[in-house]
Amino acid sequence: MELKRRDFLKAGVAAGTALAVSGPSLNAFAKGHEHAAKGAMATEAGNWVPSTCQGCTAWCPVEFFVQKGRVVKVRGNQLSKANNGYCCPRGHIMLQQVYDPDRIKVPMKRTNPEKGRGIDPKFVPITWDEALDTIADKMVALRKAGEPEKLMYMRGRYSPISTELLYGTLPKIYGTPNYFSHSAICAEAEKMGPGYTQGFFGYRDYDMAKTNCLVIWGTDPLSSNRQVPNAINKFGDIFDRGTVIAVDPRLSASAAKANEWLPIKPGEDGALAAAIAHVIMTEGMWSKEFVGDFKDGKNLFKSGAAVDESSFAEKQTHGVVKWWNIELKDKTPKWASKITLIPEKQIVRVARIMGKAGSACAVYMGPGVAMTPRGTYASMAVYALNGILGSVETEGGVFQSSGVPVEKFSKPDKFIDEVAKKHGHGKKIDGRGAKDMPAMMGAKPGSGVVTNNVANGMLKDPNAIKIFLSTWSNFVFSCTGAQRWEKAMAKVPFFVHMVTNASEMTQYADIVLPATFAPAEKLSIITNMANLHGHMSIQQPVIKPLWQTKAEETEVMWLLAEKLKAKGFANLYDYYASFEDPETKKKPTNAAEFCEITAKIASQKVWNGKEKMKGDQVAGWEDFKKKGIYNSETYAYKKNWGKFKTETKKFEFYSETMKKALAEHAKKHNTSIDDILSASGYEAKGELAFVPHYESPKRHGDAKEYPFTFIDHKSRLNREGRSQNAPWYQEFKKVDIGDVSWDDVVKINPGDAKKLGIKNGDTVRLTSTTGSITTKVRLWEGVRPGTVAKCYGQGHWAYGRVAAKDYAKAEPRGGNNNELLVDDYDRLSGSTARNGGFTGVKIEKA
Amino acid sequence: MPKYGMVIDLQKCVGCGACAIACKTENNTQDRADGQRFNWADFVYKEEGKFPNVKFAAMPVLCNHCTDAPCVKACPVKPKAMFKTPDGITMHNDERCIGCQRCQKACPYSSTDVDKDKAAYSVLSFNAHGGTTHPFYKDEKELIKDCTASGAQVAKVAGDMPPHRTLYKHPEYESVRRSGITEKCIFCEHRVKNGEQPYCVVSCPAKARIFGDLSDPGSDVSKALKAHNSVQLKNNKGELLKAGEKGTKPNVYYIRSYKAEAKKV
Repeated sequence: MELKRRDFLKAGVAAGTALAVSGPSLNAFAKGHEHAAKGAMATEAGNWVPSTCQGCTAWCPVEFFVQKGRVVKVRGNQLSKANNGYCCPRGHIMLQQVYDPDRIKVPMKRTNPEKGRGIDPKFVPITWDEALDTIADKMVALRKAGEPEKLMYMRGRYSPISTELLYGTLPKIYGTPNYFSHSAICAEAEKMGPGYTQGFFGYRDYDMAKTNCLVIWGTDPLSSNRQVPNAINKFGDIFDRGTVIAVDPRLSASAAKANEWLPIKPGEDGALAAAIAHVIMTEGMWSKEFVGDFKDGKNLFKSGAAVDESSFAEKQTHGVVKWWNIELKDKTPKWASKITLIPEKQIVRVARIMGKAGSACAVYMGPGVAMTPRGTYASMAVYALNGILGSVETEGGVFQSSGVPVEKFSKPDKFIDEVAKKHGHGKKIDGRGAKDMPAMMGAKPGSGVVTNNVANGMLKDPNAIKIFLSTWSNFVFSCTGAQRWEKAMAKVPFFVHMVTNASEMTQYADIVLPATFAPAEKLSIITNMANLHGHMSIQQPVIKPLWQTKAEETEVMWLLAEKLKAKGFANLYDYYASFEDPETKKKPTNAAEFCEITAKIASQKVWNGKEKMKGDQVAGWEDFKKKGIYNSETYAYKKNWGKFKTETKKFEFYSETMKKALAEHAKKHNTSIDDILSASGYEAKGELAFVPHYESPKRHGDAKEYPFTFIDHKSRLNREGRSQNAPWYQEFKKVDIGDVSWDDVVKINPGDAKKLGIKNGDTVRLTSTTGSITTKVRLWEGVRPGTVAKCYGQGHWAYGRVAAKDYAKAEPRGGNNNELLVDDYDRLSGSTARNGGFTGVKIEKA
Repeated sequence: MPKYGMVIDLQKCVGCGACAIACKTENNTQDRADGQRFNWADFVYKEEGKFPNVKFAAMPVLCNHCTDAPCVKACPVKPKAMFKTPDGITMHNDERCIGCQRCQKACPYSSTDVDKDKAAYSVLSFNAHGGTTHPFYKDEKELIKDCTASGAQVAKVAGDMPPHRTLYKHPEYESVRRSGITEKCIFCEHRVKNGEQPYCVVSCPAKARIFGDLSDPGSDVSKALKAHNSVQLKNNKGELLKAGEKGTKPNVYYIRSYKAEAKKV
């Protein structure tokens, strides 16, 4: 090939680029690995700079490729053990979020006092100074009026470290009990299974590199649920060693590849789990090492027959015979097949495959099991299978989370004044701890957040909240019964939203503060785990932000504290100003210094060399910023055997831990446990309340008027409901199997569609007892007749030009599932119900 | 001389889309418009059976870099704008291209209008004559006046078009193509020539894509083809070449099965 004129020009540009990279301008932001351009064809010079993706709950350590101060590509952090150096499809979409044309550039204020969907807030740009002055004035006035408890803070996505400086500090020092996390609308009920059996109220990890049987239940790890890149990385190889079983009412991405798909009738998971346990027990396939055995070695677990507790000697578990007698003995596969609609033969076959894999069989339980109105018990029933298989902390099994050493910030106690003490501990408006809302997360009644109930609290008492601050949230879109949030938000006198885009919730804001897009623009420390390793990773400004954005949990808080101090309330500022750099001992004098000092304080243990770390060796703060990650040591098998954090220190099939917590809650309300359970909507009475067991699914909408059972599921491209404004999201929407690019569809079984006279591509109106949405139809064999499935994510009527069909007219692209799903709860955990077929819908041609 | 080819292991592939989106970041391809997809990496899906016996499969697709490439034969320009490199890559020179779309019509894996053709994808896409590439970042509309940005403003402040443009140099190819020409996958030659793998390969979290020299029996691609039966695509509707059918001698192969079968106990 002859060299052309343009090649000379290009070579010149490349040389210039290489020079710019080695200069100081780029280094001012972050250091990374240099990629030198060479030869006539090559990628031009740039740096891979580490940061952390927060597009889902995996919180993946990633790297951005930076050329000329622009982010151009994304990959997993090459040193990460959690994601093996890969990001999932979500990671790449970050580029279109950074460069989203609809990013908020400057602080803005509302000039139209009228609030509601479709009403133009008439936002106008203001300075940061004016915005923060306005907020500080309101806050000082509310405190002076003696009602600081009427300030509410709600967090959406956050940094697990920086959140301590806002969520963990502001309400305490200011004096309000009303601060709430988004957590309970996500998957919190999942924690109840491992919590009340194993004493671990957390998200689990899996030895996917070694498992011989992966049972995916009510989740789709190839698409979501906390370790997507690791699941994708290890999934295909499991078939060479063993079996993948998927229990899901719809054909998920995982089910499409699995050896066995069990398309369970929504909400009947507890029945299937009980039957599988029944087979494993009657066929003698339980783990003798973990559970123990009959004293004389003879299996007395026979269908329908009670067993003498004294005949069995347990090892790491408690109450296996009680569980059998109270719940399992009559839960035959034949019984379960009628309820679950899974053929008896398949139940038995799957149970045997699981039993054969034994302690190398991991039951990967997800929100589909647990985020239902009676989800706690289903969560326990499915999770308990790991107990009888003995796959807790074993090769190929299920694990608690791995941690990393984080240095906590000094306590704000001495900055909490009398006003704050007096007003900071009142009743929270989320209703936790009420008789019918035990919210017993962590085995402590009244301790769990009931996120979605906040709207009900606000509607009940419109005077309860006068100032509402919220960050990276969109409850008007992301909560079931979304319409309630629209009503509640319209009544808030002063709402401050700190976000990247003008979302649905932003339409109700009085002041909007432009937030950094955290993965590329915010300095923070993130911790998480996967693949048997914990990690601490940095999140840092890999580029100079394009707009006047600020990090909401650190920079904005410092600036707000300065304003509050100037107006006579100095406590928050004094607390922040008491921090000091762990290396230089220097105290912060501005927002940027505060930001860096807090990141250094939290992360110091992994890089300061004072203590030899069991995982990676990091040489100092600069080295940490360059590597971007600390990986912990590998999780040791059987680490917690004999010391589970339950009442008995054992794996409890008969949950003494549950019994104690329920008794405590009943005592608080001067009533019986049975009364508590009945008030909270559970079926269990007596001893059944303390064992994993089957409860029938609750359904809103009678079968005659609302004949179809609605299944909500998650997109592998959802960045928590924020990526729909990215053209790549729309273009590849089809990777959610059964879905269609640049559209929103409800998946209907072709048999049902025929009866309704509906064709592929028709537009229909779905109606539940809560509301209606309009969407397209996709005929899909991957759903059972009588059920319809729809992915969450589309249906934005704000957020941006791509996400919404018409932003100015508040016209959605498709329909938001949360306008159909009913506001209901798994009340033992306080979690919002969104699964288990609890919402019936009718379908009409639109 | 190497003969480059790719093997895609469907047992490992989970259809996640990371390869296809990563390709868009590497090669700066624009959004779909007027029947053109601009996805150098894309997917074909197959659905068979009735509930509950449903079989679904995803197949990642890209230019097959055919040995008997009809796009090359069809190119009327002299010297040809579409040609084979000595190491088997079907290469396109964007200066010589006259935008006649004959390559797009000749390629069995391409359509001049994917929507009209009801095709799953198109290897070749056409940047319309007199059009503008990446119109998304040329739009000056602000949704909230003076408060939110616009596409044009983002591109201007970031300093390139698209703002996330990956800069690479290649003697045949601009990293963003001009209007009035076709474009397609070039096996990331700008990477391959520097000892790197194509970007779809390194971006696959499942490690489902194997790239290398088909003429070297010791290469990973050759080993994979020796170890497993393979199939090749016949067209952009997802049909496969039958045994013994050569078609255009595509150099992208598929091994193993996307869906696992139930096991006997």
